[in-house]
Amino acid sequence: MPKIIIDGKEIECRDKVPVLQAALEAGWDIPHYCYHPGLSVVASCRLCLMEMKMPHPQTKEMGWAPKLFPSCQTPVRDGMEVRFASEKVAENQKECMEYFLLNHPLDCPVCDQAGECYLQDYSLEFGEATSRMVEPKNKNPKKDIGSKTLLYQDRCVMCSRCVRFCEEVAGTGELGIVNRGSRAEIDIFPGVPLENELQGNVVDICPVGSLLDKDFLMDQRVWFLKGADSICPGCSTGCAIRVDHNKGEVWRLKPRFNPGVNDWWICDEGRFGWKYAHDGDRLNKLTVRRGADAQHPDWSAFDEIVRLRFEKVVREKGDGSLACVLSPFMACEEAWLLATFVRSIDSDATLVLGPVPYEGEDKNFPVGATNGHPPKFTIMAEKCPNRRGIELILKSLGGKQAKFEDFVAAAGKNEYAGVWVSGGYPSKEWVPKDLASAAGKIAEAGVLIAHDLFPNKLTEAADVVVPACPWTERAGSFMNHQGKIQPFEAAVVPLEGCQRDGQYLFALSDETGLYNAARVRDKMAETIKEFAEVHVPPQPPAHQH
Amino acid sequence: MPGYNMPGSDWKQTDVVVVDQPELTLFERSYLPQVLGGMGTTLRHMFNVAKRSKNVVQYPEKKRELRKEIYRGVHRLNRDDQGRVACVACFMCETACPAHCIHIEGAEAPWEDREKYPIKFDIDELRCIYCGMCEEACPVDAIELTPEYQLVGQSRQEMIFDKEKLLMVFDRTKDDKPRKNPRITGY
Repeated sequence: MPKIIIDGKEIECRDKVPVLQAALEAGWDIPHYCYHPGLSVVASCRLCLMEMKMPHPQTKEMGWAPKLFPSCQTPVRDGMEVRFASEKVAENQKECMEYFLLNHPLDCPVCDQAGECYLQDYSLEFGEATSRMVEPKNKNPKKDIGSKTLLYQDRCVMCSRCVRFCEEVAGTGELGIVNRGSRAEIDIFPGVPLENELQGNVVDICPVGSLLDKDFLMDQRVWFLKGADSICPGCSTGCAIRVDHNKGEVWRLKPRFNPGVNDWWICDEGRFGWKYAHDGDRLNKLTVRRGADAQHPDWSAFDEIVRLRFEKVVREKGDGSLACVLSPFMACEEAWLLATFVRSIDSDATLVLGPVPYEGEDKNFPVGATNGHPPKFTIMAEKCPNRRGIELILKSLGGKQAKFEDFVAAAGKNEYAGVWVSGGYPSKEWVPKDLASAAGKIAEAGVLIAHDLFPNKLTEAADVVVPACPWTERAGSFMNHQGKIQPFEAAVVPLEGCQRDGQYLFALSDETGLYNAARVRDKMAETIKEFAEVHVPPQPPAHQH
Repeated sequence: MPGYNMPGSDWKQTDVVVVDQPELTLFERSYLPQVLGGMGTTLRHMFNVAKRSKNVVQYPEKKRELRKEIYRGVHRLNRDDQGRVACVACFMCETACPAHCIHIEGAEAPWEDREKYPIKFDIDELRCIYCGMCEEACPVDAIELTPEYQLVGQSRQEMIFDKEKLLMVFDRTKDDKPRKNPRITGY
């Protein structure tokens, strides 16, 4: 590991990184716009310039070179000495900031980026309070560049991050810079809108309010939002995300840095695919049916209702008459709590992994040729977050297990008298026809408990309907396709009438108090060693963006 | 328990605060000093006739002289010179409001020269503490407090003033207290 000296302080840094990255990682706040660790280096914003010690051309004596160097383009070299805390550097930052703001409309009050805008932050920290500009500012109306993104050109600082992203990560290259000098602007090619599947990321990496998300446009001011560290349930990649919420409502999802899984990016499918969490059709009442009569008991009775019914079935029909379908949308903890509960009543109960939704093929980015490089981002075809987690739990619990198709066939032949089916799929029509027709039979002969988000054929037939919560309202962990167990926290409180899935499953397994996913995980680790450790992505440097 | 303070837990050990109430002494527990102190204040006011006759106004027959330009009464939403709502829905007042009584919903403005405007602007006049922070925070001087103080209603719902009602207050009070001439009138 090379050692470099920044502002007279020696630091140890990673090899082959730019000085800027090393300084950011060591805690320096160096202003920068164009540099992004996931993209190529262009050194165009000139905001991160530093002073460097170089040998004098004649005397070979080491001294501060008169010229400033872009720290994002200068790789670290053992023993090099640079400084940011100098008048020259500060002067440059001040002048750069003045230049960036020449044509900026200063419309922060109506700009959605305000509050997380690096023009604001850097103006305050490194810029000037006043502008010397007396000429009228260039006006450039906003442009509709795609179905999900808006471009406010006059707020742009021409860092070209979005252009590089579309070219290097998405591989589609829809954006480009047209014109030169003060007339330079970001634009799409005529007739080719920005329509790649990662386009939401250009909004994230835009350091100013130039690229904005139409979905979030003018909805909220960002300082009202609270973030919850979560994991995207959209596919088995398991991207680390932040769920931004306010007053019990989710407003947007943002990616979290998670090297080796999703790096800095997430796909649009995940980013905009959370709307089902606030769908008005969601089940919101614990329902118990006796014939045509439906009751909505309190959650405190839930434990007894389920236990009595299942115990009665086992008493009448003997061991092996229970079956439990675990959905790949359940968190590991919830699946484990449920499976162990069912097994505690009927040690011969059949455990089943619910249907795993697939859609097309895995999509790798950049699209097209990667020239032998590994893909920078992958959207998996497996559209559920936790197939591997459930499989791991099933494997460790052992005993009688069945494939979903076999279970449906057996259920159709009335082989099970007590069945718990967990759904929680974002799609309202996930119940296969065979299961829907078998549901009536199970409910007639025994007990059918449907645990789902939306009303469907199964919940219509079930004796007990247990409303589930979407992942934004739960806590637990998902195991992604690489086998990484990633914890997520609950962002918002459950819908009125619902209870956090973990909470009632916790009560079901004869526990009292509050459900705490980490504690359940500790308990699971006693039998399944994989759960002893979870993958928590490292914190990126505080001043990196 | 540091292990439980990681993502994945829905509550943290550090969230729990244990509060102990201080023990009252025997004298304090008799509540006599408080009772007598309160009675003293009442009596003092009762016998100070001179001060009372100077300060008391026979409302509603007589009304107090107000300093209209700084009096903090019912809010109003100003109109710009074209009669449109002057608010740009920047949420600064909602941010500054210590009582959380302002609720705004922003949307894209239907006008060429404006970016954003409020489709919903509610002030809960019952919750408001009339501190005037909203007025201070507004970048376009769109929200102002008026000299109107006779605030009555028959239900809580009625006291949540919406955009139309706040604009009506402006129409009612603009002659009494004209709109300031803000440097920035829109975004």
